[in-house]
Amino acid sequence: MQHAESVSPPPDFSATKKKVVTIRQRLRPVYPFLVIMLIWQIAAMQAKGNLGQLFPTLDAIAYRAWELITGPLMTALKENPSLGFFDYLYYLYQSPLLWHTFHTAWRLPFSFVLGAIFGVIIGVIMGRFSFWESFFVPLIAVLLPIPALAWVPIAVIWFGLGSQTVIIVTTFATFLPIVMAVWTGVKTVNPVWIRAAQSMNANKMTIFRTVVVPGSLPMILSGFRIGLARAWRAGVGAEAFAGIKWGLSAGIFDAQEFLDIAFMMVALAVLGIFGYLLEKIFFQPIESRTVIKWGMMEAMGGQERKV
Amino acid sequence: MGKPMVAKIQIRNLRKVYDTPERRVHALENVNLDIQDGEFLCLVGLSGCGKTTLLNMLAGFVEITAGDILMDGKTLTEDYDKGVVFQEYALFPWRTARRNVEYGLEIRNVAPEERKRIALEHLRLVRLEEFADFYPHNLSGGMRQRVAVARALAFDPQVLLMDEPFGALDAQTREELQELTVDVWQKTKKTVVYVTHNLSEAVYLGNRIVVFIPRPGRIREVITVNIPRPRDPLSSAFIEIQREIDRLIRT
Repeated sequence: MQHAESVSPPPDFSATKKKVVTIRQRLRPVYPFLVIMLIWQIAAMQAKGNLGQLFPTLDAIAYRAWELITGPLMTALKENPSLGFFDYLYYLYQSPLLWHTFHTAWRLPFSFVLGAIFGVIIGVIMGRFSFWESFFVPLIAVLLPIPALAWVPIAVIWFGLGSQTVIIVTTFATFLPIVMAVWTGVKTVNPVWIRAAQSMNANKMTIFRTVVVPGSLPMILSGFRIGLARAWRAGVGAEAFAGIKWGLSAGIFDAQEFLDIAFMMVALAVLGIFGYLLEKIFFQPIESRTVIKWGMMEAMGGQERKV
Repeated sequence: MGKPMVAKIQIRNLRKVYDTPERRVHALENVNLDIQDGEFLCLVGLSGCGKTTLLNMLAGFVEITAGDILMDGKTLTEDYDKGVVFQEYALFPWRTARRNVEYGLEIRNVAPEERKRIALEHLRLVRLEEFADFYPHNLSGGMRQRVAVARALAFDPQVLLMDEPFGALDAQTREELQELTVDVWQKTKKTVVYVTHNLSEAVYLGNRIVVFIPRPGRIREVITVNIPRPRDPLSSAFIEIQREIDRLIRT
Protein backbone atom coordinates (compact mmCIF):
# COMPACT_ATOMS: atom_id res chain seq x y z
CA MET A 1 0.00 0.00 0.00
CA GLN A 2 2.23 2.81 1.20
CA HIS A 3 5.87 2.67 0.35
CA ALA A 4 6.51 6.35 0.86
CA GLU A 5 8.80 5.90 3.81
CA SER A 6 11.23 3.57 2.12
CA VAL A 7 11.54 5.85 -0.87
CA SER A 8 12.26 9.09 0.96
CA PRO A 9 15.86 9.57 2.10
CA PRO A 10 16.64 9.22 5.82
CA PRO A 11 16.53 12.50 7.70
CA ASP A 12 20.12 12.91 8.75
CA PHE A 13 23.20 12.28 6.68
CA SER A 14 25.42 14.81 8.41
CA ALA A 15 27.48 12.24 10.28
CA THR A 16 28.26 10.21 7.18
CA LYS A 17 28.77 13.07 4.74
CA LYS A 18 32.38 14.01 3.99
CA LYS A 19 33.01 17.65 4.79
CA VAL A 20 35.12 19.75 2.44
CA VAL A 21 37.61 21.77 4.47
CA THR A 22 39.35 24.65 2.77
CA ILE A 23 42.92 25.67 3.59
CA ARG A 24 41.58 28.92 4.98
CA GLN A 25 39.43 26.98 7.46
CA ARG A 26 42.31 24.73 8.34
CA LEU A 27 44.51 27.71 9.18
CA ARG A 28 41.92 29.38 11.37
CA PRO A 29 43.19 27.92 14.67
CA VAL A 30 46.70 29.13 13.85
CA TYR A 31 45.82 32.86 13.82
CA PRO A 32 45.41 33.31 17.59
CA PHE A 33 48.93 31.94 18.05
CA LEU A 34 50.32 34.37 15.47
CA VAL A 35 48.69 37.29 17.30
CA ILE A 36 50.09 36.21 20.68
CA MET A 37 53.53 35.60 19.15
CA LEU A 38 53.54 39.03 17.57
CA ILE A 39 52.68 40.72 20.85
CA TRP A 40 55.29 38.63 22.62
CA GLN A 41 57.97 39.53 20.12
CA ILE A 42 57.25 43.27 20.29
CA ALA A 43 57.24 43.19 24.09
CA ALA A 44 60.43 41.11 24.27
CA MET A 45 62.26 43.45 21.92
CA GLN A 46 61.70 46.28 24.39
CA ALA A 47 63.46 44.33 27.15
CA LYS A 48 67.15 45.21 27.57
CA GLY A 49 70.05 43.62 29.43
CA ASN A 50 69.17 41.13 32.18
CA LEU A 51 65.51 41.62 31.49
CA GLY A 52 66.18 40.44 27.93
CA GLN A 53 67.39 37.12 29.27
CA LEU A 54 64.30 36.76 31.48
CA PHE A 55 61.94 37.66 28.65
CA PRO A 56 63.60 36.28 25.51
CA THR A 57 62.51 37.10 22.00
CA LEU A 58 61.03 34.38 19.80
CA ASP A 59 64.18 34.07 17.73
CA ALA A 60 66.20 33.57 20.93
CA ILE A 61 63.81 30.82 22.00
CA ALA A 62 63.94 29.24 18.56
CA TYR A 63 67.75 29.36 18.61
CA ARG A 64 67.78 27.76 22.06
CA ALA A 65 65.45 25.02 20.83
CA TRP A 66 67.79 24.38 17.89
CA GLU A 67 70.75 24.33 20.22
CA LEU A 68 69.02 21.92 22.57
CA ILE A 69 68.19 19.54 19.78
CA THR A 70 71.41 19.64 17.77
CA GLY A 71 73.98 20.55 20.47
CA PRO A 72 75.71 17.15 20.85
CA LEU A 73 75.51 16.57 17.12
CA MET A 74 77.27 19.85 16.32
CA THR A 75 80.00 19.15 18.86
CA ALA A 76 80.54 15.72 17.36
CA LEU A 77 80.56 17.11 13.81
CA LYS A 78 83.28 19.55 14.76
CA GLU A 79 85.52 16.70 15.89
CA ASN A 80 84.63 14.32 13.06
CA PRO A 81 82.88 15.87 10.02
CA SER A 82 82.24 12.50 8.28
CA LEU A 83 79.52 10.97 10.42
CA GLY A 84 77.30 8.15 9.20
CA PHE A 85 73.50 8.13 9.26
CA PHE A 86 73.30 6.15 12.48
CA ASP A 87 75.81 8.49 14.12
CA TYR A 88 73.48 11.35 13.31
CA LEU A 89 70.62 9.49 14.98
CA TYR A 90 72.81 8.67 17.96
CA TYR A 91 73.87 12.27 18.54
CA LEU A 92 70.36 13.60 18.04
CA TYR A 93 69.33 11.09 20.62
CA GLN A 94 71.92 12.60 22.97
CA SER A 95 70.28 16.02 22.78
CA PRO A 96 68.91 17.10 26.15
CA LEU A 97 65.53 18.26 24.85
CA LEU A 98 64.77 14.99 23.06
CA TRP A 99 66.11 13.05 26.02
CA HIS A 100 63.78 14.97 28.37
CA THR A 101 60.85 14.51 25.99
CA PHE A 102 61.58 10.86 25.55
CA HIS A 103 61.48 10.22 29.29
CA THR A 104 58.24 12.07 29.79
CA ALA A 105 56.82 10.44 26.69
CA TRP A 106 57.36 6.87 27.83
CA ARG A 107 56.46 7.32 31.47
CA LEU A 108 53.13 8.97 30.76
CA PRO A 109 51.56 6.47 28.30
CA PHE A 110 53.02 3.59 30.31
CA SER A 111 51.38 4.83 33.52
CA PHE A 112 48.17 5.70 31.68
CA VAL A 113 47.84 2.23 30.19
CA LEU A 114 48.59 0.67 33.58
CA GLY A 115 46.02 2.89 35.33
CA ALA A 116 43.47 2.28 32.59
CA ILE A 117 43.87 -1.50 32.86
CA PHE A 118 43.34 -1.44 36.63
CA GLY A 119 40.54 1.11 36.24
CA VAL A 120 38.65 -0.96 33.69
CA ILE A 121 39.03 -4.18 35.69
CA ILE A 122 37.90 -2.68 39.01
CA GLY A 123 35.20 -0.58 37.31
CA VAL A 124 33.73 -3.63 35.58
CA ILE A 125 33.82 -5.65 38.82
CA MET A 126 32.02 -2.79 40.59
CA GLY A 127 29.44 -2.59 37.85
CA ARG A 128 28.74 -6.31 37.97
CA PHE A 129 28.91 -7.25 41.65
CA SER A 130 27.03 -5.15 44.16
CA PHE A 131 29.26 -6.38 47.00
CA TRP A 132 32.37 -4.88 45.39
CA GLU A 133 30.42 -1.86 44.36
CA SER A 134 29.54 -1.00 47.96
CA PHE A 135 33.11 -1.82 48.95
CA PHE A 136 34.87 0.46 46.45
CA VAL A 137 32.47 3.37 46.04
CA PRO A 138 33.16 5.02 49.44
CA LEU A 139 36.91 4.57 49.02
CA ILE A 140 36.96 6.14 45.58
CA ALA A 141 34.58 8.91 46.58
CA VAL A 142 37.10 9.97 49.25
CA LEU A 143 40.23 9.45 47.16
CA LEU A 144 39.00 11.10 43.96
CA PRO A 145 38.97 14.72 45.18
CA ILE A 146 42.56 14.50 46.50
CA PRO A 147 44.93 15.96 43.90
CA ALA A 148 47.42 13.27 42.96
CA LEU A 149 50.26 15.73 43.46
CA ALA A 150 49.51 15.81 47.18
CA TRP A 151 50.57 12.15 47.33
CA VAL A 152 54.01 12.85 45.90
CA PRO A 153 55.83 13.61 49.20
CA ILE A 154 54.52 10.41 50.77
CA ALA A 155 55.19 8.45 47.59
CA VAL A 156 58.78 9.73 47.56
CA ILE A 157 59.31 8.50 51.13
CA TRP A 158 57.70 5.13 50.42
CA PHE A 159 59.09 4.42 46.99
CA GLY A 160 62.19 6.57 46.93
CA LEU A 161 63.37 9.19 44.46
CA GLY A 162 63.11 8.14 40.84
CA SER A 163 60.96 7.08 37.95
CA GLN A 164 59.10 4.41 39.89
CA THR A 165 57.53 7.05 42.13
CA VAL A 166 56.47 9.14 39.15
CA ILE A 167 54.91 6.06 37.54
CA ILE A 168 53.07 5.02 40.70
CA VAL A 169 51.61 8.49 41.29
CA THR A 170 50.62 8.85 37.62
CA THR A 171 49.05 5.42 37.49
CA PHE A 172 47.07 6.17 40.62
CA ALA A 173 45.93 9.52 39.21
CA THR A 174 44.75 7.83 36.00
CA PHE A 175 43.08 4.96 37.78
CA LEU A 176 40.53 6.86 39.88
CA PRO A 177 38.53 8.75 37.24
CA ILE A 178 38.61 5.72 34.92
CA VAL A 179 37.18 3.47 37.64
CA MET A 180 34.36 5.95 38.17
CA ALA A 181 33.62 6.25 34.46
CA VAL A 182 33.72 2.52 33.74
CA TRP A 183 31.55 1.77 36.75
CA THR A 184 29.00 4.42 35.74
CA GLY A 185 29.13 3.31 32.12
CA VAL A 186 28.52 -0.35 32.92
CA LYS A 187 25.70 0.53 35.34
CA THR A 188 23.92 2.91 33.00
CA VAL A 189 23.84 0.87 29.80
CA ASN A 190 20.33 1.26 28.40
CA PRO A 191 18.38 -1.64 29.99
CA VAL A 192 16.27 -2.11 26.87
CA TRP A 193 19.40 -3.14 24.91
CA ILE A 194 20.11 -5.77 27.52
CA ARG A 195 16.52 -7.01 27.43
CA ALA A 196 16.65 -7.16 23.65
CA ALA A 197 19.79 -9.31 23.82
CA GLN A 198 18.22 -11.49 26.53
CA SER A 199 15.11 -11.97 24.43
CA MET A 200 17.34 -13.42 21.71
CA ASN A 201 18.78 -15.82 24.30
CA ALA A 202 22.23 -14.24 24.59
CA ASN A 203 23.98 -15.49 27.73
CA LYS A 204 25.51 -13.18 30.36
CA MET A 205 29.02 -13.32 28.96
CA THR A 206 27.81 -12.59 25.42
CA ILE A 207 25.65 -9.72 26.64
CA PHE A 208 28.64 -8.28 28.43
CA ARG A 209 30.85 -8.53 25.36
CA THR A 210 28.34 -7.46 22.71
CA VAL A 211 26.09 -5.04 24.61
CA VAL A 212 27.61 -3.75 27.85
CA VAL A 213 31.05 -2.98 26.39
CA PRO A 214 29.93 -1.05 23.29
CA GLY A 215 26.97 0.41 25.17
CA SER A 216 29.17 1.95 27.83
CA LEU A 217 31.89 3.04 25.43
CA PRO A 218 30.92 6.74 25.45
CA MET A 219 31.32 6.84 29.23
CA ILE A 220 34.50 4.77 29.16
CA LEU A 221 36.10 7.01 26.53
CA SER A 222 35.25 10.14 28.45
CA GLY A 223 36.75 8.45 31.52
CA PHE A 224 39.94 7.78 29.55
CA ARG A 225 40.04 11.40 28.51
CA ILE A 226 39.75 12.64 32.09
CA GLY A 227 42.19 9.94 33.18
CA LEU A 228 44.75 11.09 30.64
CA ALA A 229 44.33 14.73 31.65
CA ARG A 230 44.87 13.77 35.28
CA ALA A 231 47.80 11.54 34.42
CA TRP A 232 49.39 14.35 32.50
CA ARG A 233 49.08 16.80 35.38
CA ALA A 234 50.19 14.32 38.03
CA GLY A 235 53.05 12.95 35.96
CA VAL A 236 54.44 16.35 35.07
CA GLY A 237 54.16 17.51 38.67
CA ALA A 238 55.63 14.35 40.15
CA GLU A 239 58.65 14.56 37.81
CA ALA A 240 59.60 17.86 39.36
CA PHE A 241 59.57 16.58 42.95
CA ALA A 242 60.74 13.00 42.59
CA GLY A 243 64.36 14.05 42.14
CA ILE A 244 64.78 12.68 38.66
CA LYS A 245 67.12 14.14 36.08
CA TRP A 246 65.22 13.48 32.87
CA GLY A 247 61.71 14.55 31.99
CA LEU A 248 60.37 17.78 30.57
CA SER A 249 59.15 19.27 33.80
CA ALA A 250 62.17 18.01 35.71
CA GLY A 251 64.12 19.94 33.09
CA ILE A 252 61.97 23.02 33.60
CA PHE A 253 62.61 22.98 37.33
CA ASP A 254 66.35 22.59 36.76
CA ALA A 255 66.32 25.42 34.26
CA GLN A 256 64.77 27.67 36.88
CA GLU A 257 68.08 27.54 38.77
CA PHE A 258 69.90 28.96 35.75
CA LEU A 259 67.14 31.39 34.74
CA ASP A 260 67.11 29.56 31.42
CA ILE A 261 63.72 30.97 30.39
CA ALA A 262 64.22 29.94 26.77
CA PHE A 263 64.62 26.32 27.76
CA MET A 264 61.54 26.53 29.96
CA MET A 265 59.49 28.02 27.15
CA VAL A 266 60.66 25.35 24.71
CA ALA A 267 59.85 22.56 27.17
CA LEU A 268 56.41 24.05 27.86
CA ALA A 269 55.73 24.21 24.14
CA VAL A 270 56.72 20.55 23.78
CA LEU A 271 54.39 19.63 26.66
CA GLY A 272 51.55 21.49 24.98
CA ILE A 273 52.17 19.93 21.57
CA PHE A 274 52.51 16.50 23.13
CA GLY A 275 49.14 16.77 24.90
CA TYR A 276 47.50 18.11 21.77
CA LEU A 277 48.87 15.26 19.66
CA LEU A 278 47.66 12.66 22.17
CA GLU A 279 44.18 14.11 21.81
CA LYS A 280 44.44 14.25 18.02
CA ILE A 281 46.01 10.88 17.32
CA PHE A 282 44.48 8.90 20.16
CA PHE A 283 41.04 10.10 21.24
CA GLN A 284 39.61 11.78 18.19
CA PRO A 285 40.13 8.85 15.78
CA ILE A 286 38.71 6.40 18.31
CA GLU A 287 35.68 8.59 18.92
CA SER A 288 34.95 9.38 15.32
CA ARG A 289 35.17 5.69 14.43
CA THR A 290 32.91 4.58 17.26
CA VAL A 291 30.58 6.67 19.38
CA ILE A 292 30.29 9.58 16.93
CA LYS A 293 29.62 7.26 13.99
CA TRP A 294 27.01 5.44 16.05
CA GLY A 295 25.25 8.67 17.00
CA MET A 296 25.87 8.01 20.68
CA MET A 297 27.47 11.35 21.46
CA GLU A 298 24.21 13.33 21.23
CA ALA A 299 22.65 10.90 23.66
CA MET A 300 25.42 11.77 26.09
CA GLY A 301 24.75 15.49 25.70
CA GLY A 302 28.08 15.94 23.94
CA GLN A 303 28.77 18.28 21.05
CA GLU A 304 30.87 18.12 17.99
CA ARG A 305 34.25 19.62 18.62
CA LYS A 306 35.39 22.59 16.58
CA VAL A 307 39.13 22.00 16.53
CA MET B 1 -10.69 -20.54 13.71
CA GLY B 2 -13.07 -23.48 13.69
CA LYS B 3 -10.34 -26.06 12.98
CA PRO B 4 -9.74 -28.38 15.93
CA MET B 5 -6.01 -28.30 16.63
CA VAL B 6 -3.71 -28.45 19.61
CA ALA B 7 -3.02 -24.90 20.74
CA LYS B 8 0.52 -23.63 20.18
CA ILE B 9 0.55 -21.99 23.58
CA GLN B 10 -1.70 -23.06 26.44
CA ILE B 11 -2.04 -20.75 29.41
CA ARG B 12 -3.52 -22.46 32.47
CA ASN B 13 -4.68 -20.73 35.70
CA LEU B 14 -1.92 -18.18 35.36
CA ARG B 15 -1.39 -15.85 38.27
CA LYS B 16 1.05 -13.05 38.96
CA VAL B 17 1.36 -11.29 42.28
CA TYR B 18 3.87 -8.53 43.01
CA ASP B 19 4.70 -7.81 46.61
CA THR B 20 5.64 -4.19 47.07
CA PRO B 21 6.50 -2.78 50.51
CA GLU B 22 3.16 -0.98 50.66
CA ARG B 23 0.82 -3.59 49.33
CA ARG B 24 0.31 -6.73 47.29
CA VAL B 25 -0.50 -6.19 43.62
CA HIS B 26 -2.57 -8.79 41.80
CA ALA B 27 -1.28 -8.21 38.30
CA LEU B 28 -2.95 -11.30 36.83
CA GLU B 29 -5.54 -13.66 38.26
CA ASN B 30 -6.82 -16.92 36.82
CA VAL B 31 -5.82 -16.39 33.20
CA ASN B 32 -6.73 -19.24 30.85
CA LEU B 33 -6.02 -18.86 27.18
CA ASP B 34 -5.15 -20.96 24.15
CA ILE B 35 -3.07 -19.37 21.44
CA GLN B 36 -3.29 -21.19 18.10
CA ASP B 37 -0.35 -21.77 15.82
CA GLY B 38 -0.07 -18.97 13.29
CA GLU B 39 -2.75 -16.73 14.75
CA PHE B 40 -2.50 -13.01 15.30
CA LEU B 41 -3.62 -12.39 18.87
CA CYS B 42 -4.04 -8.90 20.27
CA LEU B 43 -4.09 -8.11 23.99
CA VAL B 44 -5.96 -4.91 24.85
CA GLY B 45 -7.05 -3.18 28.02
CA LEU B 46 -6.52 -0.13 30.16
CA SER B 47 -3.13 0.39 31.78
CA GLY B 48 -2.61 -1.84 34.80
CA CYS B 49 -4.81 -4.61 33.40
CA GLY B 50 -1.93 -7.07 33.11
CA LYS B 51 -1.63 -7.32 29.34
CA THR B 52 2.04 -6.34 29.34
CA THR B 53 2.67 -8.60 32.33
CA LEU B 54 1.33 -11.54 30.34
CA LEU B 55 3.53 -10.65 27.38
CA ASN B 56 6.57 -10.35 29.66
CA MET B 57 5.78 -13.78 31.12
CA LEU B 58 5.58 -15.21 27.61
CA ALA B 59 8.93 -13.57 26.88
CA GLY B 60 10.44 -15.02 30.05
CA PHE B 61 11.20 -11.59 31.54
CA VAL B 62 8.81 -12.03 34.47
CA GLU B 63 8.49 -15.03 36.77
CA ILE B 64 5.24 -16.91 37.09
CA THR B 65 3.65 -16.84 40.57
CA ALA B 66 1.30 -19.77 39.92
CA GLY B 67 -0.14 -21.66 36.96
CA ASP B 68 1.44 -22.88 33.73
CA ILE B 69 2.39 -21.73 30.29
CA LEU B 70 2.73 -24.66 27.91
CA MET B 71 4.37 -24.37 24.52
CA ASP B 72 3.48 -27.28 22.23
CA GLY B 73 2.34 -29.13 25.34
CA LYS B 74 5.56 -28.61 27.29
CA THR B 75 6.31 -26.18 30.10
CA LEU B 76 7.86 -23.04 28.73
CA THR B 77 11.62 -22.92 29.17
CA GLU B 78 13.38 -19.60 29.45
CA ASP B 79 15.47 -20.13 26.35
CA TYR B 80 12.81 -21.05 23.81
CA ASP B 81 12.99 -19.03 20.59
CA LYS B 82 10.87 -15.90 20.79
CA GLY B 83 11.21 -12.67 18.90
CA VAL B 84 10.41 -9.56 20.92
CA VAL B 85 9.74 -6.08 19.56
CA PHE B 86 9.77 -3.41 22.26
CA GLN B 87 7.98 -0.11 22.48
CA GLU B 88 11.26 1.74 23.05
CA TYR B 89 13.86 1.85 20.33
CA ALA B 90 15.91 -1.19 21.24
CA LEU B 91 18.27 -1.43 18.27
CA PHE B 92 21.97 -1.48 19.09
CA PRO B 93 23.31 1.90 17.94
CA TRP B 94 26.78 0.46 17.32
CA ARG B 95 25.53 -1.99 14.73
CA THR B 96 24.20 -1.25 11.27
CA ALA B 97 20.64 -2.29 10.43
CA ARG B 98 21.95 -5.53 8.89
CA ARG B 99 24.24 -6.34 11.82
CA ASN B 100 21.35 -5.69 14.21
CA VAL B 101 19.24 -8.22 12.33
CA GLU B 102 22.16 -10.65 12.44
CA TYR B 103 22.43 -10.51 16.24
CA GLY B 104 20.09 -13.39 17.05
CA LEU B 105 21.78 -15.47 14.37
CA GLU B 106 25.19 -14.78 15.88
CA ILE B 107 23.89 -16.06 19.22
CA ARG B 108 22.87 -19.23 17.39
CA ASN B 109 26.30 -19.57 15.75
CA VAL B 110 25.08 -19.21 12.18
CA ALA B 111 27.98 -18.80 9.72
CA PRO B 112 28.69 -15.20 8.62
CA GLU B 113 27.70 -15.63 4.95
CA GLU B 114 24.47 -17.34 5.89
CA ARG B 115 23.78 -14.65 8.53
CA LYS B 116 24.17 -11.92 5.99
CA ARG B 117 21.87 -13.63 3.52
CA ILE B 118 19.14 -14.20 6.11
CA ALA B 119 19.46 -10.66 7.46
CA LEU B 120 19.10 -9.10 4.00
CA GLU B 121 16.14 -11.34 3.29
CA HIS B 122 14.40 -10.09 6.43
CA LEU B 123 15.27 -6.49 5.70
CA ARG B 124 13.62 -7.01 2.32
CA LEU B 125 10.59 -8.36 4.15
CA VAL B 126 10.23 -5.04 6.01
CA ARG B 127 11.13 -3.13 2.81
CA LEU B 128 14.41 -1.73 4.12
CA GLU B 129 16.94 -3.65 2.07
CA GLU B 130 18.59 -0.53 0.72
CA PHE B 131 19.17 0.75 4.27
CA ALA B 132 21.09 -2.35 5.38
CA ASP B 133 24.32 -0.47 6.01
CA PHE B 134 22.77 2.46 7.88
CA TYR B 135 23.31 2.96 11.58
CA PRO B 136 20.06 3.28 13.56
CA HIS B 137 20.59 6.98 14.33
CA ASN B 138 20.40 7.70 10.61
CA LEU B 139 17.01 5.97 10.35
CA SER B 140 13.60 7.42 11.21
CA GLY B 141 11.58 6.06 14.14
CA GLY B 142 9.35 3.99 11.86
CA MET B 143 12.35 2.52 10.05
CA ARG B 144 13.99 1.59 13.33
CA GLN B 145 10.92 -0.35 14.41
CA ARG B 146 10.86 -2.11 11.05
CA VAL B 147 14.48 -3.16 11.58
CA ALA B 148 13.44 -4.31 15.07
CA VAL B 149 10.72 -6.50 13.51
CA ALA B 150 13.26 -7.94 11.07
CA ARG B 151 15.67 -8.59 13.94
CA ALA B 152 12.97 -10.37 15.97
CA LEU B 153 12.09 -12.64 13.04
CA ALA B 154 15.51 -13.39 11.56
CA PHE B 155 16.29 -16.40 13.76
CA ASP B 156 12.91 -17.96 12.95
CA PRO B 157 11.37 -17.83 16.45
CA GLN B 158 8.32 -19.85 17.47
CA VAL B 159 6.38 -16.73 18.40
CA LEU B 160 6.65 -13.02 17.77
CA LEU B 161 5.86 -10.91 20.84
CA MET B 162 5.18 -7.21 20.25
CA ASP B 163 4.71 -4.74 23.09
CA GLU B 164 3.05 -1.59 21.72
CA PRO B 165 5.77 -1.45 19.08
CA PHE B 166 4.35 1.53 17.21
CA GLY B 167 3.14 3.47 20.25
CA ALA B 168 5.77 6.17 19.90
CA LEU B 169 5.18 6.81 16.20
CA ASP B 170 2.99 9.40 14.51
CA ALA B 171 -0.42 8.29 13.23
CA GLN B 172 0.57 8.08 9.57
CA THR B 173 3.71 6.02 10.09
CA ARG B 174 1.75 3.88 12.49
CA GLU B 175 -0.86 3.00 9.85
CA GLU B 176 1.89 2.18 7.38
CA LEU B 177 3.54 -0.16 9.85
CA GLN B 178 0.26 -1.86 10.74
CA GLU B 179 -0.25 -2.66 7.10
CA LEU B 180 3.35 -3.88 6.89
CA THR B 181 2.88 -6.00 10.02
CA VAL B 182 -0.10 -7.81 8.50
CA ASP B 183 1.91 -8.35 5.32
CA VAL B 184 4.87 -9.77 7.28
CA TRP B 185 2.56 -11.99 9.35
CA GLN B 186 0.88 -13.36 6.23
CA LYS B 187 4.23 -14.07 4.59
CA THR B 188 5.92 -15.65 7.62
CA LYS B 189 2.83 -17.37 9.15
CA LYS B 190 4.21 -16.66 12.63
CA THR B 191 2.19 -16.79 15.82
CA VAL B 192 1.98 -13.16 16.92
CA VAL B 193 1.03 -11.84 20.35
CA TYR B 194 0.56 -8.11 20.13
CA VAL B 195 -0.06 -5.77 23.08
CA THR B 196 -1.74 -2.44 22.39
CA HIS B 197 -4.11 -0.01 24.06
CA ASN B 198 -5.21 1.28 20.65
CA LEU B 199 -8.49 -0.50 19.87
CA SER B 200 -8.54 0.39 16.20
CA GLU B 201 -5.06 -1.08 15.87
CA ALA B 202 -6.20 -4.29 17.61
CA VAL B 203 -9.22 -4.68 15.32
CA TYR B 204 -7.11 -3.95 12.25
CA LEU B 205 -4.47 -6.55 13.17
CA GLY B 206 -5.93 -9.34 15.24
CA ASN B 207 -7.60 -12.66 14.44
CA ARG B 208 -8.71 -12.59 18.02
CA ILE B 209 -8.66 -9.88 20.63
CA VAL B 210 -8.24 -10.64 24.32
CA VAL B 211 -9.86 -7.93 26.43
CA PHE B 212 -8.30 -7.45 29.87
CA ILE B 213 -9.76 -5.57 32.83
CA PRO B 214 -7.79 -4.42 35.88
CA ARG B 215 -7.86 -4.95 39.69
CA PRO B 216 -7.09 -7.78 39.59
CA GLY B 217 -5.81 -8.10 36.02
CA ARG B 218 -7.96 -10.73 34.28
CA ILE B 219 -9.52 -11.62 30.95
CA ARG B 220 -12.95 -10.08 30.39
CA GLU B 221 -13.62 -11.66 27.05
CA VAL B 222 -12.00 -13.00 23.91
CA ILE B 223 -13.39 -11.62 20.68
CA THR B 224 -12.93 -13.17 17.27
CA VAL B 225 -12.58 -10.74 14.38
CA ASN B 226 -13.97 -12.23 11.20
CA ILE B 227 -13.55 -9.22 8.93
CA PRO B 228 -11.68 -10.17 5.74
CA ARG B 229 -8.32 -8.52 5.12
CA PRO B 230 -7.31 -5.92 4.21
CA ARG B 231 -9.64 -4.39 6.74
CA ASP B 232 -11.17 -0.98 6.33
CA PRO B 233 -11.22 0.91 9.65
CA LEU B 234 -14.18 2.93 8.40
CA SER B 235 -16.42 -0.05 7.59
CA SER B 236 -19.44 -0.59 9.85
CA ALA B 237 -18.34 -4.11 10.91
CA PHE B 238 -14.96 -2.72 11.97
CA ILE B 239 -16.49 0.10 13.97
CA GLU B 240 -19.01 -2.20 15.58
CA ILE B 241 -16.33 -4.51 16.97
CA GLN B 242 -14.32 -1.54 18.13
CA ARG B 243 -17.37 -0.20 19.96
CA GLU B 244 -18.03 -3.59 21.53
CA ILE B 245 -14.48 -3.81 22.88
CA ASP B 246 -14.69 -0.27 24.18
CA ARG B 247 -17.84 -1.21 26.07
CA LEU B 248 -16.19 -4.34 27.53
CA ILE B 249 -13.14 -2.43 28.71
CA ARG B 250 -15.23 0.11 30.56
CA THR B 251 -17.49 -2.27 32.45
